[in-house]
Amino acid sequence: MATKNKVIVYSTKTCPWCKKTKEFLKANKIPFADKDVGNKKNADEMIKKSGQYGVPVTIIGKKIIVGYDIDEIKKAL
Amino acid sequence: MANKKYDFIILGGGGTGLAAAMYAARLGMKTLVLGATHGTELPIGGVITTTNIVENYPGFIKISGVELAKKLEAHARSYDLVEIKHEKANDIKKSGNSFFVKTEKAEYSGKTILFATGTMWRKLNIPGSKEFENKGVSYCALCDGPLFRNKTVAVIGGSDSAAKDALLLAEHAKKVYIIYRGEEIHPEPINFERIRKNKKIEVINNTNLTEINGDNLLRSVVLDKTHKGKNKLELDGIFVAIGHIALSDLAKKLSVKLDKNNEIIINHMTSETSVSGIFAAGDVTDKPFKQLITGVADGCTAAYSAYEHINKKI
Repeated sequence: MATKNKVIVYSTKTCPWCKKTKEFLKANKIPFADKDVGNKKNADEMIKKSGQYGVPVTIIGKKIIVGYDIDEIKKAL
Repeated sequence: MANKKYDFIILGGGGTGLAAAMYAARLGMKTLVLGATHGTELPIGGVITTTNIVENYPGFIKISGVELAKKLEAHARSYDLVEIKHEKANDIKKSGNSFFVKTEKAEYSGKTILFATGTMWRKLNIPGSKEFENKGVSYCALCDGPLFRNKTVAVIGGSDSAAKDALLLAEHAKKVYIIYRGEEIHPEPINFERIRKNKKIEVINNTNLTEINGDNLLRSVVLDKTHKGKNKLELDGIFVAIGHIALSDLAKKLSVKLDKNNEIIINHMTSETSVSGIFAAGDVTDKPFKQLITGVADGCTAAYSAYEHINKKI
């Protein structure tokens, strides 16, 4: 699996679904920017982009995926 | 035709199911765990993965829920007789002495079945609760808590889970309310003491939420009683911990007896249900004390009872 799109994952350190999302990307050798929303700047950025508080948020190109949704991630890559 | 045959099929990959699988393998039973059975589609490890710190599991004074779940999974997987699949059972039929379990991918047959399906979170059902889900209404303090740094939040509920959520949120938020409909919240005494000592946490008993309001994000809630002279409470987020719903639909379809809460009635000594060959353990059952430690014990008991059941038949 490969992608030309830029991939960003907004996550918290403690969220089990965030870990699963990042494990999936790593297993498929997809490079991504890992943004911890425990940091206020990252949190504000995520809320502005996604309009909500739920994590993980995965942004692939222009597509915003809220939650652990591997099917949607695969489609967007 | 079922494409694979097992001695023991476990529905649910939480701590209960994983412990049952480990023990079943020790008893020589070919075992399948179908992990994607929880209503909220939690990862293998189940609901304990949403607990920040576990302090009531012997052998570990303090361990994160995710780490403990990984250890339970690794332990189950260390036996060649155990297979764990992230599939969901959609249908089960009994034919002769076998059960046929259909998932979205395949059909499996088992001599015995264990319901370790657990529960799903009960959703708050008031005006605004659905509209503001993920926009201030959360069901996972562990997941979303850090987003509420220096904000004001409320936990809805009075249980030990609600108290633990409030304590976790107090690490991030500037103020945490616990809003409970009953007379007094009822966490375990050790957590009640922590709540009392935490200056950020304020408990509002005898009060219900009646409405959630906001713009694009949650901004306030309406209470059915005044708090400091007002019905409106300004908040940035609410975390709902108002109990669970037993995931027993498939058991019901197999004519397994349930209680009024839809929990599977089991023999508390053997984990047997009302239907021969079907066992249940953990949060989905009618046992009153629901902890990982009790679910794990019941899962092992169920594995032993399934072993006895199979050997009596032979």
